[in-house]
Amino acid sequence: MAEEAGIATVIIATEIFRDRVEAMRVPRLLTTPFWMGRPLGRAGDSTTQRRTLLAALELLAST
Amino acid sequence: MLRTSVDVYHKFAPETSDKNRPDAYLVDVAEQRRDNSTIHVNTTISYKGNPVSEPSESFLDFKNSFSYGSRNDLNFKFLKGLSAEAAADFFQQLLWKLGDAYDSDDWSPVIEHVRAGQAANYAGPTRWAYDDGPRTPLAKPLSAAKIALITSTGHFVEGNDPKPFGVDNMTQEEAVRRIDEFLKATPVLAEIPVDTPHERLRARHPGYDVRGALSDHNVALPTDHLRALAAEGVIGSLHPVAYSFVGACAQTPLIKRTAPRWVEMWKTAGIDGAVLVPV
Repeated sequence: MAEEAGIATVIIATEIFRDRVEAMRVPRLLTTPFWMGRPLGRAGDSTTQRRTLLAALELLAST
Repeated sequence: MLRTSVDVYHKFAPETSDKNRPDAYLVDVAEQRRDNSTIHVNTTISYKGNPVSEPSESFLDFKNSFSYGSRNDLNFKFLKGLSAEAAADFFQQLLWKLGDAYDSDDWSPVIEHVRAGQAANYAGPTRWAYDDGPRTPLAKPLSAAKIALITSTGHFVEGNDPKPFGVDNMTQEEAVRRIDEFLKATPVLAEIPVDTPHERLRARHPGYDVRGALSDHNVALPTDHLRALAAEGVIGSLHPVAYSFVGACAQTPLIKRTAPRWVEMWKTAGIDGAVLVPV
């Protein structure tokens, strides 16, 4: 519904929820190979977290 | 197929040392696996039909206890969704991989094994059906866009507790105990200034293990990274408030009533794009 209001959205979710999130027909989804509760990367892994966020923003900007 | 045989009685006495109790039996309830090996799921000692000692915990009870039970661990709540056979296989492989990791110092197979277990619990078709929604392109280049962060992580700022069910400073343990109430409740949106220092952030959620988020909020609430990207000019600006709610909530009110109000608020705030992080 955010998209209908003109707000582009991207979801960052762990691959664990892929089937469930895809079933929601969301416009943009970045899945990651991490445990539940840490979709951007493990605690303290700042490099991976930033890379995940950049990938999501690229998806947001390019589609 | 998994076959279950119950009331498999193995004679315990008088052949054993307990010659004074000739009517005592070991009562063994077992599941027979495909390879004809057996998982003992419950064992008690009975005397003339009555238990003579505390019943031992069954394997089924053990594996289920990780999901909102006596051993609650939300990283492993998926065990309840596994059959006894699959759970036994999970533990066996976990221990085997631990042995390998000890020698190789490569723990990634252990981590992946757990991740695969978590994934198995959520894989497959859902009972909900959704319509295709629109996909709106970002109205501006990313470097000019105003970006907001919205998560379902249950974060809030110290001193501004959303107070679920009127309870201030509810512990994570109490939230876990009240999962059924959360699932029926209308979600409350917490407003989190994006420059809130980690020390003042709290996370409480009955559906996932919050230890990672408590240790480093950027695992699911990446305010620090978004602020850095705004400072670097990668994004035009960051909406000064991030939003979080407990995603384990009543879904119909969320979709039909609460979320539309939130979207209207974000639209009024001039937000061009949003990063959404469910957990």
